[in-house]
Amino acid sequence: MDIFNIYLPIAGIEFNALLLVLIGFCVGVLGGFFGVGGGWIVTPALNIFGFQMAFAIGTDLSNIFGQTIGAVKKHQKMGNIDWKLGLISIATSIVGLEIGSEVIIALEKAGDVGMIVRWCYMLLLWGLGSYMLRDYYAMRPRESKDEDMGREQSSRNKSGNGRPRISERLHRITIPPMISFPSSGIEGVSIWIILLVFLFTGFLSGFLGVGGGFIIMPALVYLIGLPTAVAVGTSLVTVLFSGAYGCFTYALKGRVEMIAALILLVGSAIGVQIGATAVKYIRGYGIRLLFAVMILLAGCSIAIEQVYKLTDIAVYSTTAGLVIMGTAMCMVLIIIVRLVLESKRGKKLRL
Amino acid sequence: MSAKKAIGLLFFCLLFVSTPGNSFARDAAEKESTALNQKVQTSRLSGINLWIAETYNSERTLYAITVTIVMAALGTSLAFLTDLVLKALGLEVSRISHRE
Repeated sequence: MDIFNIYLPIAGIEFNALLLVLIGFCVGVLGGFFGVGGGWIVTPALNIFGFQMAFAIGTDLSNIFGQTIGAVKKHQKMGNIDWKLGLISIATSIVGLEIGSEVIIALEKAGDVGMIVRWCYMLLLWGLGSYMLRDYYAMRPRESKDEDMGREQSSRNKSGNGRPRISERLHRITIPPMISFPSSGIEGVSIWIILLVFLFTGFLSGFLGVGGGFIIMPALVYLIGLPTAVAVGTSLVTVLFSGAYGCFTYALKGRVEMIAALILLVGSAIGVQIGATAVKYIRGYGIRLLFAVMILLAGCSIAIEQVYKLTDIAVYSTTAGLVIMGTAMCMVLIIIVRLVLESKRGKKLRL
Repeated sequence: MSAKKAIGLLFFCLLFVSTPGNSFARDAAEKESTALNQKVQTSRLSGINLWIAETYNSERTLYAITVTIVMAALGTSLAFLTDLVLKALGLEVSRISHRE
């Protein structure tokens, strides 16, 4: 495999190009399918294989920017993007992000901020993952029943308008001004609810130091009531802008290894098209189930990282990285297999 | 995408890039500011690697703009090509109905 080793002039290291393409491909599939940037996969992966952390983050953000352009284009074609909501989310998230980062700076002065952030990260991932799993299993019997009765459109909650319960409650708050999102099928919701939701997701992004795709996607589904596919596409709009900003600012600070980012992008740009196409073939609940499993395992990876920070035994850090990469690879495999099976089934139906 | 939408998008892009927002990411990069001024050794490099390293050493802003534009261009081109291949494989996408 040494023949694929290339010299990366900016980072000043040798790296296997094939490995870069593979990492890029995995994160691309997940990005297109779940509406996330995937920084929490690529950054530890690059770091494990020899990149300095700042280079790993900068190179990853550049890749996220490049890959998300293709994903946004594809989701736009499928009618999965609500631009109005996406742009509001960007503008509001910036404010939330600033508040989150200010809280971090305040905590930094008080003590070990890393430990607090990791605990919050774990609780968020496990809490969100458990909720989504519970939601999936609560709705599954209903889904099967609907299918048995030959209904094409199943309901997502008991109120019958297709929205999860929390968003249904939020939609009942009618503090003016009201705003509508026709692309998402939302006729009227208080703008304050929308702003609060994005302020909250932005705060979490700033507090946890993440791009925010994995927070925004479930927030759009469960709090605002978007169909899953539209939540995936709209979440990518935010990821695109944070990727663009991250790419530029890290490059300006000399922390983007351009050659590595380009090679990563070869894999991820292909992967992201496959992931986005899979959204067409896998139902909303299927996407949410896989997402729930993925973030639960991501929480486990953070827990192992936490053990490393407490014990300072290096093997825990490597294990944490391997867990997240293993999870990503398994998910990619599942998505591709489902895509192939479902597309074959689709073809048979047409015949 | 309509021209109006594209202009709006560009405006937000500029707004996003120029705002003091995303300071967490910026701070993360600035933490290693002592190492930021390091120069890449160019003596062993040639061709495109040499050009990248020289731009990195002398024109950091140009380097940042180049990285951003090249990533966008390559991302778009590869997306277009992959889309063609997927279409040829029968995995064409069109507007979908949003059922859960």
